Amino acid sequence: MTEPAQQAQGAPLLQVEGVVKRFGGIRAVDGAGFEVATGSMTALIGPNGAGKTTLFNAITGFQRVDRGSVRLAGEEVLNLPAYAIARRGMVRTFQITKALEAMPVIDNMMLAAPDQPGERFRSLVFHPRAARQREREVRAQAMEVLEFFHLAEHADAYAGTLSGGQRKLLELARALMTEPRLLLLDEPMAGINPSLGRRLLEYLQRLRAEQGTTILYVEHDMEVVMNHSDLVVVMAEGRTIAVGAPQAVREDPAVIDAYLGGAA
Amino acid sequence: MSVSALPLAVTFEAFTDVGFWSGVLVVAGIYAVVTLGLQLNVGFTGIVNFGQAGFMAVGGYSMAILVLEAGLSFWLALPIAVLVTMGFGLLIGLPSLRLRGDYFAIVTLAMAEVVRLVAQNARDLTGGNKGLYCEFEGVNQTCFDDAWRSVSDSMLGFFESFWSDPEPLLPLLIVIWVTVAIGVVALTYLQGTPWGRVLRAVREDEDATRALGKNTLLYKLQSLMISALLGALAGFFLALFLATIHPDDYEPIVTFFAFGVLILGGLANYKGVVVGAILLWTLLEGTRFVELPISEEKTAALRFAIVGAVLIGLMAFRPQGLFGKREEMVLGD
Repeated sequence: MTEPAQQAQGAPLLQVEGVVKRFGGIRAVDGAGFEVATGSMTALIGPNGAGKTTLFNAITGFQRVDRGSVRLAGEEVLNLPAYAIARRGMVRTFQITKALEAMPVIDNMMLAAPDQPGERFRSLVFHPRAARQREREVRAQAMEVLEFFHLAEHADAYAGTLSGGQRKLLELARALMTEPRLLLLDEPMAGINPSLGRRLLEYLQRLRAEQGTTILYVEHDMEVVMNHSDLVVVMAEGRTIAVGAPQAVREDPAVIDAYLGGAA
Repeated sequence: MSVSALPLAVTFEAFTDVGFWSGVLVVAGIYAVVTLGLQLNVGFTGIVNFGQAGFMAVGGYSMAILVLEAGLSFWLALPIAVLVTMGFGLLIGLPSLRLRGDYFAIVTLAMAEVVRLVAQNARDLTGGNKGLYCEFEGVNQTCFDDAWRSVSDSMLGFFESFWSDPEPLLPLLIVIWVTVAIGVVALTYLQGTPWGRVLRAVREDEDATRALGKNTLLYKLQSLMISALLGALAGFFLALFLATIHPDDYEPIVTFFAFGVLILGGLANYKGVVVGAILLWTLLEGTRFVELPISEEKTAALRFAIVGAVLIGLMAFRPQGLFGKREEMVLGD
């Protein structure tokens, strides 16, 4: 486990600046900006309606943005298609789990692996052997990750037959199969029991320690946020109102104000 | 047909008749080819394509126009017409596949009707309601299927060496069912590849698939273009079978019969398409021979009621169709 207020090291992997997203007259995101240091675990918090999920969608290309800048490792990715952003190593999960339910667990996993030539029609016809070779590698890798998440025994079951918590784990495991540099998790603890939640946190910490994966997550459970983040970004009404170590943010009057409903 | 004394009776003579079965199997084979495309779209990619009749029309008309108007050889016209139809699929898919599923369905249905109405009205090119078959220049007559007729005749000549009176539809029947077999094998193979896995993922959840770095629009376009290819082939076969190309043969009902085949056979299974096509057309043609003490027009209308009742019964007792997987259907929702 990492110490709560550990200082994040390294250059920013993700730089978000002045992002604006309007829905008609409403500014869901109104100039939010923050940075995520390489190798850090950063929490994005804020009261309901602060624009966290919209910002998440904007960063990952699921929502077109009116204005702003999103740089991944220095490269502008704003308004690129979602699949292109994912290929650059910024991979997200969803608040409501999106397991590919009528597909076996193992297929969910193998789908996510990058660089499978067999996914392209032309190489499938002209280089079928390369596709089969890669398929073997990917299957072994997928089983390893499933093992890690205690899901290996369900490999051949339809994803839809898993419990809610297991699906959440599957979604995380699947995201990991893409070998992400930056993992964006939208409420990873929501809807899972506390013991599974602890396990999930352990996984995330191990992941960061062993693979150096950077994590940005939206979370409502303050205990989790305070104990497991290097940096906390607080949003309210579409803006970032505070950025800092968990302890500092907790005592910030602007943050207390926003949470207690006094925001003007 | 003999008039039976019973109020309801089926005469079985027809079912031992070679002519009856080759007719049924030719039509069933054409529908199997069309529905393989639907299976790829609806069963494996989750895009509801209501425009198969339109792709058949584009394929059939382009082939005939290339032969009759441009003077191309039949064998060259076929691949060009396939490319034209696939290009048309791309053109339709590019703007509409970005839409949500039900809007895409509406666009494809409208597309098919636009194709049919253009064919009905662009008389100089398509012959309008007279349809297309032959062109006359003085005493010379060119028909779009001349090249096929000569192949068919030589095949029949070969059959005559061991069968005194070969069924004239047999050559077409063979070509159609070889196509069906190749289609089933190729599509089943593709479904097992990583490419097929991405298609199924798009069917399950497009956003989740995009989030994993897959360009889902590209896969939906490829799925639609393969479906257009199969539609074009079916269009050729229908034109050769009917020896004419007429707008009325490409009404939306053609697509809906194909959906009947799809539902009967079950989603996400290519073999189901083949069995479904044979079953539906045996049922549709077989019910012609049900004899009732009512006028013939009424019997004709009743055939569809019988087929409808069978489909409703199937939905009630086996909603996944004959070969569909129940788990996939339940989990897929």
